[in-house]
Amino acid sequence: MQARIKFSSKRFLLALMLCACSIILLQNDDLAADTSFTFQLLGILGGLSVCFVLFLPSLFIKIRTDGDVLQLAERCTPRAKLPLAAVYSCCFVYTALYFLLPYTEMFHTKYFPEASPCLITVVLLACCVYAACKGVNVISRFGVFLFAFALLTNILMFGGSVSEVDWGHCTFALRGDAGEFLQNTVYFVTPAFIIPIFACLSGCVSNFRLRQPVFALVFTGIKYAAVIFFICFALGDYSRRQGFQTFLLSRVAHFSTFAGIESFYLALSTMAVFMILSLLLCCITKSVGRSGELRPIILFTGIILALDVAATYLDPVREVLTNPLLFVVLTVIPAAVIPMIWYFIGRKSNAPKN
Amino acid sequence: MRRKISIVLTIWSVAFSALLLTGCNTSRRIETAAIIENVSVNRQDGEIIYTFYRLTDDEKPWGVDVRADSLEEACALAEESYIPHFSLAKLELLMIDEDVYEEVMESDIDFISTRPSFSPIAYVTLCDDKTMESFRENNRAQRVIEEQLILLKNHNPDVSINYLSIFNQFAREGEESFTVPFVSSEKELKVSEFEIRRKK
Amino acid sequence: MKYSVVEIKTNLERQFAQSADLTVRELTLNSDACVKALVLTMEGLVDKEQLAQSVINPLLPCEFGSMAPSAVAECVFRSVIASSDVTELETIDELITYLTSGFAVLAIDGAEKMYAVGVQGYAFRGVSEPESEVVQRGSREGFSEPLRVNMSLIRRRVKSPELVFEQMTVGSDSRTQLMLCYLQSKVSRELLATLKERLNSCDLETVLASGYLSDYLEDRQTSRLFSGVGISERPDTVCGKLTEGRIAVIVDGTPAVIIVPRLFVEEFQGVDDYSNRTYYAAFVRVIKYISFFTAVFLPGLYVALAQFHPEYFPTWLLISTSESLAKTPFPVTAEVLGITLVYEIMKEAGLRIPKSLGHAVSIVGALVIGESAVTAGIISSSTLMVVATAAICSYVTSSLYPPIMMLRFILIAVGGLTGLWGITLATAVILISMCSKTSLGVPYMSSLAPFSFKRMRDVFIRASWKQLARHTIRVQRFPETEVTDAGKN
Repeated sequence: MQARIKFSSKRFLLALMLCACSIILLQNDDLAADTSFTFQLLGILGGLSVCFVLFLPSLFIKIRTDGDVLQLAERCTPRAKLPLAAVYSCCFVYTALYFLLPYTEMFHTKYFPEASPCLITVVLLACCVYAACKGVNVISRFGVFLFAFALLTNILMFGGSVSEVDWGHCTFALRGDAGEFLQNTVYFVTPAFIIPIFACLSGCVSNFRLRQPVFALVFTGIKYAAVIFFICFALGDYSRRQGFQTFLLSRVAHFSTFAGIESFYLALSTMAVFMILSLLLCCITKSVGRSGELRPIILFTGIILALDVAATYLDPVREVLTNPLLFVVLTVIPAAVIPMIWYFIGRKSNAPKN
Repeated sequence: MRRKISIVLTIWSVAFSALLLTGCNTSRRIETAAIIENVSVNRQDGEIIYTFYRLTDDEKPWGVDVRADSLEEACALAEESYIPHFSLAKLELLMIDEDVYEEVMESDIDFISTRPSFSPIAYVTLCDDKTMESFRENNRAQRVIEEQLILLKNHNPDVSINYLSIFNQFAREGEESFTVPFVSSEKELKVSEFEIRRKK
Repeated sequence: MKYSVVEIKTNLERQFAQSADLTVRELTLNSDACVKALVLTMEGLVDKEQLAQSVINPLLPCEFGSMAPSAVAECVFRSVIASSDVTELETIDELITYLTSGFAVLAIDGAEKMYAVGVQGYAFRGVSEPESEVVQRGSREGFSEPLRVNMSLIRRRVKSPELVFEQMTVGSDSRTQLMLCYLQSKVSRELLATLKERLNSCDLETVLASGYLSDYLEDRQTSRLFSGVGISERPDTVCGKLTEGRIAVIVDGTPAVIIVPRLFVEEFQGVDDYSNRTYYAAFVRVIKYISFFTAVFLPGLYVALAQFHPEYFPTWLLISTSESLAKTPFPVTAEVLGITLVYEIMKEAGLRIPKSLGHAVSIVGALVIGESAVTAGIISSSTLMVVATAAICSYVTSSLYPPIMMLRFILIAVGGLTGLWGITLATAVILISMCSKTSLGVPYMSSLAPFSFKRMRDVFIRASWKQLARHTIRVQRFPETEVTDAGKN
């Protein structure tokens, strides 16, 4: 019953913001190595500006119709339901794997080298199936608790790293070239994965305001900037020696003899990936027109699991599934291209006929 | 409903039994894990000795000597032959004898920086032979050294007292030297600054 | 329909199968037609003196002359029965319900109605302070077993005509009386209708306590780990909840009154919070939340850290913990699970043991089992301390004890198998399950998720009464509630 109730758009955007903020926890040498902090800030600015532009079509749909792109498509072009469902579910499956694979790798390399990555995926996906069955409203409620926990973890992580910041070498010079700027920008476009989720699920939220996604993107940018600052000036060159720089930051953070903040990092990244995957499963079931049903959720979870296993053992599959450019393309299509098409179709069909 | 429950139960039981069978059960249990608190490097009879001190509250430190040319080799040997289930995540102090630092410091810091299992905020000091001896005899020496290191850092922020900052100084281009603490045995244990000239 | 006393007597004797406690007193009224009457009572449920004074003594000398039986009955009802509590009955089923509730029933041959006279006089426990909800500053009165006494305890506190008691009966055999209690201007009619529908769907043969009904009042397809049905033995608590638009269900024969809807944050609110200074009330609230988390997570985290991440222990604790655990023969997970289980067994024994033996048992439990086991090296002192701390913390919010106990066992097992990662995932699943739960359509985690900044003044802190009085609280107006606010219709 709760699944059918429209809930606060603020909370939905908070959940999306958490997802967007949390993916930097899985950053693994994705940024150009020799660029300065200020140059990376420009990358953040560029990336998030692109995100905002990509956001616009779904925002227009929400503002004009108070629904989402799927509802609009169903109303305007009922025949397009099947191809639309296919495109969206394909993109969401790819996005799920794009985050799942680095997470399992981080977990496997940093915490439990003995445990099989596939089993980590199985257990994680089983929990996500349960959450996806409960619906997006319940997941966004979970986001409130995750937000509180993320706040605590970030305070501990940044507060504990302050003592290690090398203030003497804090420089704000611009260092980097166009290619590196492009590489950084592509990385900072990653939070755009929340836009297809918004495009799919925004129909079930009420009291939407334009400032909400703007705030979400600005806050995401601030969070990224803070992480990059500490990676640059607290970890310095050390961060380039190992992957998963945010993990290293949590490792270095300490308050006198109190250390072990990486346990908070583990918990936060696990819960964030759990929420992202659950939301994506919700989107998949919504796009195939069977929200909250167990059968499609299990079917697509099975597909994700199969691809994850393939990527674990076959490097070419892994390369395809973790390709940032492909990810950007598969995000732009459901985030901007499809909503834009249906936005114009919708306007045309609503236009007064002479 | 029954089907739903049976599916969820099946997934969970498969996952748990698999976890048990494939690795998570080989965890480091607290009572068997050897938590290494300190590592010292010095020269004995012309050979480099790495000593791994376990965490203990006994009066006398409990250390295991490993003959090796580098920390990487010493860790591998220690894991295989001397201390199974050993963990360096709580490493607090790495002491390098002034006689051997030129041979091992660069490679050891390089090795430590690539291993996620090391605590990157462990203190690193150079010291003389007598300090090493007193460290072997008395567990209190570590506390004294750590207190003095903090005092030294407060007086001079440019001194790199943990290997995270040492590594960063070490890796920085355009700087010809960096400063690390030196523990001498004068009047118990005294920490002073020690400048290391970088090789060009 | 006209009743014959012979038929009524035969019918009752058949239904009660000559039960020894059914008392039938036959009277012949002073009238020309010698109209017969029956006074029916249940032995031990009525006050005989009151019965004689209010029914039999005024009835026998009365002259009815040539009045028809229905006129006799009307006259008896209007002028003879000397009691303020008289109810007209029309069916045998009603007769049986009132009879078994301690009323005396007067039936006049040939009349169309029977009369139930309130002359109850059974023995019951007096009004005393409830042991499970002791307060420092506040009323010492608690509910008792008789329904009418409990109703009076509420009415004495809410003198408004808005307070309504609505009677229902549940249990095909026990025919237990219930009273739905609400404030008509504040309750949601939809909520009330839903509650009645669920109570009517109760197909139990006997309802002996309010707990029997809890399952029927829970929302479908929501987690049953936490209860969406509140229980209180304090009239002041119930009155406070009624003013927020909630409904109380008083079940005859039990001092535990049901309150619906029930929310998670309410488990941490106590009557004393509203009498104490605000800063102290806020401090107590925070203590309660910390205790809840400690009770649920401490043993699981301890197992996970000891088993998988010993380096996360502070150095001083790590040495003592590893030394004490090294002396024991069992893995830490088995040890914690074992001690927790033994503690639960001892708790159950302690609850049911005669008080005279209680002291001896506590000595055996604490000294012999606890200390000897540590000395003998069977269990470690650190594990014992962790389990004891969690056990004490679980009583700070005693109404949450069942879910706390269940979650503790789950988290110990998960922590022992998969470490911190498993505990994180289990916590996520538990939170999802809690967030999806509703209590009669109101989200169980309301105030936290859905988050309400306004309601925060009475969640982690308790704002001053002046601030609290600024906003009226109605459960049906909570965000994302499925029932609508139709109070003023």
